[in-house]
Amino acid sequence: MTVLAQISSKIREGAQSGFLLWMMTIDHKRIGILYLLSAAVFFMVGGFEALLMRIQLAQPDSKFLSPDMYNQIFTMHGTTMIFLVVMPLSAGFGNYLIPLMIGARDMTFPKLNALSYWTFLFGGVFMYSSFIFGGAPNDGWFSYAPLTENFYSPTHGMDFWIMGILLLGFATTIGSINFIVTVIQLRAPGLTLTRLPLFVWTMTVTSFLAVFSLPSLTTAVLLLFLDRQLGAHFYNVGQGGSALLWQHLFWFFGHPEVYILILPAMGIVSEVIPVFSGKTLFGYQAVVFSAIAIGFLGFTVWAHHMFATGMPSTTLLFFAADSFLIGVPTGVKIFAWLATMWKGKLRFATPMLFAVGFVAMFLIGGLDGIHLAVVPVDWQLTDTYYVVSHLHYVLFGGAIFGIFAGVYYWFPKITGRRLQEGLGKWHFWLMFIGMNLVFMPMHILGIEGMPRRIYTYGAGRGWEIWNFIETIGALIITVSVLIFVVNFFISLLKKATNEADPWDGFTLEWKTASPPPVYNFAEIPSVRSRRPLWDEKYPDLADWKAGE
Amino acid sequence: MKIFHKCALLAWLGIVLSGCGPSPTFLSPASSIAEHEANLFNIILIMALVVFVLVEICLVWILIRDRKKTGDDKSPKQIYGNSKLEITWTVIPVLLTVVLFAMTVQTMQSVAAPAPSSTDINVHVIGHQWFWEFVYTDLGIKTANELHIPVGATVQITLDSIDVIHSFWIPQLSGKTDAVPGQTNHMWLTADRTGVFVGQCAEFCGIEHALMRIEVVVHSQDDFNAWVSYQQKPAVQPQTEEEQAGFKIVSNLCVSCHSLNPAEPEDKAGPNLAHLFSRSTFAGATYDLTEENINRWLHDTQPMKPGNKMDLKLTPEEIEHLLAYLKLLK
Repeated sequence: MTVLAQISSKIREGAQSGFLLWMMTIDHKRIGILYLLSAAVFFMVGGFEALLMRIQLAQPDSKFLSPDMYNQIFTMHGTTMIFLVVMPLSAGFGNYLIPLMIGARDMTFPKLNALSYWTFLFGGVFMYSSFIFGGAPNDGWFSYAPLTENFYSPTHGMDFWIMGILLLGFATTIGSINFIVTVIQLRAPGLTLTRLPLFVWTMTVTSFLAVFSLPSLTTAVLLLFLDRQLGAHFYNVGQGGSALLWQHLFWFFGHPEVYILILPAMGIVSEVIPVFSGKTLFGYQAVVFSAIAIGFLGFTVWAHHMFATGMPSTTLLFFAADSFLIGVPTGVKIFAWLATMWKGKLRFATPMLFAVGFVAMFLIGGLDGIHLAVVPVDWQLTDTYYVVSHLHYVLFGGAIFGIFAGVYYWFPKITGRRLQEGLGKWHFWLMFIGMNLVFMPMHILGIEGMPRRIYTYGAGRGWEIWNFIETIGALIITVSVLIFVVNFFISLLKKATNEADPWDGFTLEWKTASPPPVYNFAEIPSVRSRRPLWDEKYPDLADWKAGE
Repeated sequence: MKIFHKCALLAWLGIVLSGCGPSPTFLSPASSIAEHEANLFNIILIMALVVFVLVEICLVWILIRDRKKTGDDKSPKQIYGNSKLEITWTVIPVLLTVVLFAMTVQTMQSVAAPAPSSTDINVHVIGHQWFWEFVYTDLGIKTANELHIPVGATVQITLDSIDVIHSFWIPQLSGKTDAVPGQTNHMWLTADRTGVFVGQCAEFCGIEHALMRIEVVVHSQDDFNAWVSYQQKPAVQPQTEEEQAGFKIVSNLCVSCHSLNPAEPEDKAGPNLAHLFSRSTFAGATYDLTEENINRWLHDTQPMKPGNKMDLKLTPEEIEHLLAYLKLLK
C-alpha cells in the first residue's frame, strides 16, 4: 500500500464517526444541518450587533459606540442577516428537505453541495475576520460608490467585504444550480411539476432568481475591486467613472435578493398552514403562479431604490408602476392562506403560531411598502427609519417568522424530538411583541424625519421616546431568542420519540423515519397527487379522487 | 376624501405631539411641495389601513372560529380553490394599482419645479463630507449649514457633491434629492411661512453622516434683503494686535481650506468664514455657534465631531488670537 492510499483509508475510517464525519459528509441532510447550525450562530452574532445599535440609540448623544464602530456594526448587521443568516437558513432547509419532499435519495450533485456549504462558511468567517485585521466593512450592506473607493474608505474592511461577497455569491450560485437540477431530475414517479410541494416550488423560483441576479452583484464588486486594488476608474467620478453605475448593478441584484429572502419563507408557510388547518392549500395553481410572477417582476423594479437620484419622470413612473404590480401576486398569496384556514380545523402548535404571525406581520410590510413605491411620498421617506421599519416587517416579521415556523415544524423530522411547546409559545409571543415594539415606532421616526444609519441624534426633535421604546423591544426579542436557545438544548437532551409523522403531515418527508436513514426511502414512493401522505392516510378523501 | 384626510392628519398630529418636541415632519408642511406629499401620504395611509384592518379582522375571526375542538377528529371539507373568488382578489388589487398610479402622476405634476424666472433665487447646494455649502450664484454669497431664503419665493437649487453621494432633505419644505458627484441634480424649494426648518443629510456618506445637518431660515422679504446685503460685505479687517495675530494665522493656515471672501470664486474644502459669527450653528449645524464652543473646537475638533477633516495643532496662545479675530466675523 502506498503512503497516499494508507492516508486516504485512515481518513475514510475516521470519517465513519465524529468530527471528520461532518467535515467530509456529502449527505444532503448533514449538509442541511451544517447550514442551519452555522446560520443560527451568525443569527446570534447579527442579533447581538442589532442590540448594540439599539443600546447606542436608546438616548440622544450617546457615547456607547464610537461613530466608526457604529458604522461597522450596522454594515455587518445587514450583511450578516442577509447573506449569512436568511439565505443559508433557506439553503439549509432546501438541502435537508428538497430530496425528502420529492422522494429522492440525495441532491443531484452531492459533492457540489458540500463545496457550496464550505465556501459559504469560509466566506462568512473570512468577512468577520476583518474585525481583527484593522476594521470591518463600514459602508452599509449596499455599500454605495464612491464612498467605497480607497480614498474614502482606506481600511481593508471594504476589501474583506468584496472578497466575502464573491465567495458567498459563488456558494449560492452553485447551491442554486444544484437545487434546480435536483428538482428537474430527481422527482419521484408521478410527482409532476403541478404536484410539487409549495416549499420546493418557492426554492426553485428562488434558485432561478439567485442564478440570474448574482452575476450583476459579482460584476459590481469585481469592478469595485479593480478600482480599489488596481486603480481602475469605474466608480471614480473624477476620472470619468460613474457613481450611479454601482447602484444600478447592485439593485439589479438587490431587489431580486429581497424575494430570494422572502420566497422560501412563503414556501414554508404554505406547507405549515395547510397541515395545521387540516386542509389542502387553497388555489395551489394561483399560489405557484404568484411565486413565479413575483420572481419575474422582481427583476423589473430595481430603480425604486433610486427614486431620489435624479431620474427623469418617465423612468420614475415606470418603476413605480411595476412596484405597485408586485402587490397583486403578493395579495393572491395572503388571500390563499386565509382561504386555506377558512373552515379548517386549526391546531395552534408553535409552527402554526409562527406561520400565522408571518401572515399578520408580512401584511404590514407589504402595505407600508406602497408608500415607498409612490414616488413623491418616497422622496420624503426613502433613507429614513420608515424604510428600516418596512424592510424589517418583511424580513423579520416575514422571513424570520417563516423560518422559525419551519424550525419548529421540521425539528422533529431532523432530530426525532419535538421542541417543547410551552417554551415555544413563550418564544413566539415575546418575539411577536418585541418585534412590534422595535419596528412599529420606526414608521413614526421615519415620518418625523429621522434618517437611517445615523450613529446619534440630538435631543428635541421628538425622537427620544420612540427610540427608547425600540430599545426595550430589542431587549424583549433578545429574551425570546434566549428562550429558543434553552428550548433547543432541553429538547435535544430529551429522549427521542422518533415519530415519523408528528403533525399529521401531507408531504413525503413525513413518510420516512425521523431522523430519516441515509438513503431516505427504502423504496422510492410513487405519487398520485399533491398530498401523497394524505392520500395514504385518508384514502376516502384522497386528492386524486377529488380530481384536484 | 377631505374628511378622511383630516382624520389621518389629526391621528398623526396626536402621535407627533406626544413626542418630546416638535419634530421636522412633512406632515406639518411649510410649503406646497411638502403639503402635496403629505396629502398623498395620508390618502394612501387610509387605503392601507382599510385593507390592513379588513384582512387582520378576517384573520383573527378565522383563528377564533375555526380552532379545532377537542375530540373533533373529523377532517374538514377539502376546498381546492374557487376561480371566481381568486379572480376577484386578483382584479381588485389591479384596479387599486391603477388608482395609485393616477395619484402618483398627479402629485408628481403638482410638485414639479416651476419654469425658471428672473425673480427666482438660485442656489448651488454642494454636499461635502460632512457639511452643506450654499452658493448664491446671483448674489455673490457663499455660506454653509444655514440656507437663508425669503418667504414665498421660488428657490431653484442645483445640487452637487464634491466627494461622495449625499442627500439634501428638509422634510417640511420638500422631499429629498441626492447630491451625486459628477451629476448635477435639480430641485426647488419654497416656504409659505417664516421660521427655521431643520433637516439633515439622508444618504449615508461616511463616519460623520449623522452630524451633517441643515437649517433653513425663512425670512420676510425685507429681512432677507438685509441678510443679503450684510453677507455680501467683505470680511472685517483686524484692528488690535491680538486680532492681527489671529488674522495672520487665518491667512497662513486656515485659507488652505477656508476663505474670508464671501464671493470666493475658488472651490474650498471647508465652509466660508467671511461671516462665521453671523450663523447660529457650526460643524454641520450640530453645535450652537458660541464663543465657548468655538474655543473648544479650536482646541480639538475630534472629540466634538470624530473623524472630521479639520485637524488642528494650535497653542493656547494661538487659539486666543484666532478667536479674537474670528469673533469679528459677524
